[in-house]
Amino acid sequence: MSDSDLPVVLIVEDEPDVAETYKLWLQQEYEVRMAQNGDEGLEQLDADVDVVLLDRMMPGLSGDEVLERIRERNLGCRVAMVTAVEPDFDILEMGFDAYLSKPIRSEQLHETVDNLLDRSEYDSLLQEYYALVEKQATLEATKSSAELAESDQYDELTQRVVEMRDDLSETLGGIEDDSDFIATLRGLSDDEDN
Amino acid sequence: MKTTERQTMYDLTSVLEFDALSEVRPGSSILISGPAMSGKERLAYDILADGLDKGDGAVVVTTGDGAGSVVEEFRSLVPDLDGSQLGVIDCRGEGGTDEEAIGNAHAHHVSSPGDLTGIGIGITKALEGLHNAGNEQGRLALVSLSTMLTYTDKKTVFKFCHVLSSRLDSAGYIGVFTIDSGAHDDQTLQVIKQAFDGMIDVRDAEGGGREARVLGLAGEPTDWQDI
Repeated sequence: MSDSDLPVVLIVEDEPDVAETYKLWLQQEYEVRMAQNGDEGLEQLDADVDVVLLDRMMPGLSGDEVLERIRERNLGCRVAMVTAVEPDFDILEMGFDAYLSKPIRSEQLHETVDNLLDRSEYDSLLQEYYALVEKQATLEATKSSAELAESDQYDELTQRVVEMRDDLSETLGGIEDDSDFIATLRGLSDDEDN
Repeated sequence: MKTTERQTMYDLTSVLEFDALSEVRPGSSILISGPAMSGKERLAYDILADGLDKGDGAVVVTTGDGAGSVVEEFRSLVPDLDGSQLGVIDCRGEGGTDEEAIGNAHAHHVSSPGDLTGIGIGITKALEGLHNAGNEQGRLALVSLSTMLTYTDKKTVFKFCHVLSSRLDSAGYIGVFTIDSGAHDDQTLQVIKQAFDGMIDVRDAEGGGREARVLGLAGEPTDWQDI
């Protein structure tokens, strides 16, 4: 997140009218950055960016090349590919987290961005959940069951682990579809490299 | 989840006779834990073979056996096996698959047991293949988490198990995952256990043979019982 605390969306799109339209739709809810080509997009990209809308067909660096460099930098942002035609190939294997085919409607754009942000939220909840489980496991591995039964700290931890598990499965609805599943797994690998 | 409500429970008692295994909720993930050579993998395969007999789909994520030998194994376990009911994700990072052995089973190769995204894509394709072949329910086995833990840290494996469980939940599948209890420290085992709904512990019995107990699926942990 950046100064404004709003999630940051980076639009990489070579057609100014199209880019402006996306910006108009998104700017109420998000901090929007714009880039007219792949090189500019990579310059604008930093750890604050949550979601990248990446046009696939651009002069200069193509969307695929930009994606590859984004993944190399392990920034953990989500990337939605914007295409003129419905992709006839496996976008999951290519490393995109979602795709949108033109023309895009406002509602559709919001839905995709929100969904990708939910993935990030799921990641951080999962991270938090892991930290609790690890603490709990450390206590279990080092203290006797009598000591654990006496420990308020352990009791509290156990409670929080249960609550957090429910949060993970209910609040965010778990993993709904294939692209959610792959995008989340890709997030795990990114974390590991950091 | 919406999709799981209309689905029937999984009955694993013909593989392991425990009441706690008579009605396993779709979406459950079970850890099979035990020392080396205690029949964990056999048990996981038997649970899948039992499912194939009953019309469930089967997905195997393997870090040790090649896709070809897994398919052959299932052909011997399930004589009238229809290959389209079986998906194998071979994570050994070796090519050279014997296409003939695989037949019409869905096989996917992944570069390494640490390539979680690749494994996820393989599972996605296997689930899709089984769905297209008409399977509404199924069972997934991952053998083994211990190998994955040598390629990536316990935090990542924990999260992977959690995310995969969630995916299995929305598919209405059950999952069984094996871990060598002697290969990891207590803390690692405690952490990994937390990613599962329940656990089957196996060990060698004192008088020979093997025994098992079930923890966390229904009620209190069971007693050890010969298997």
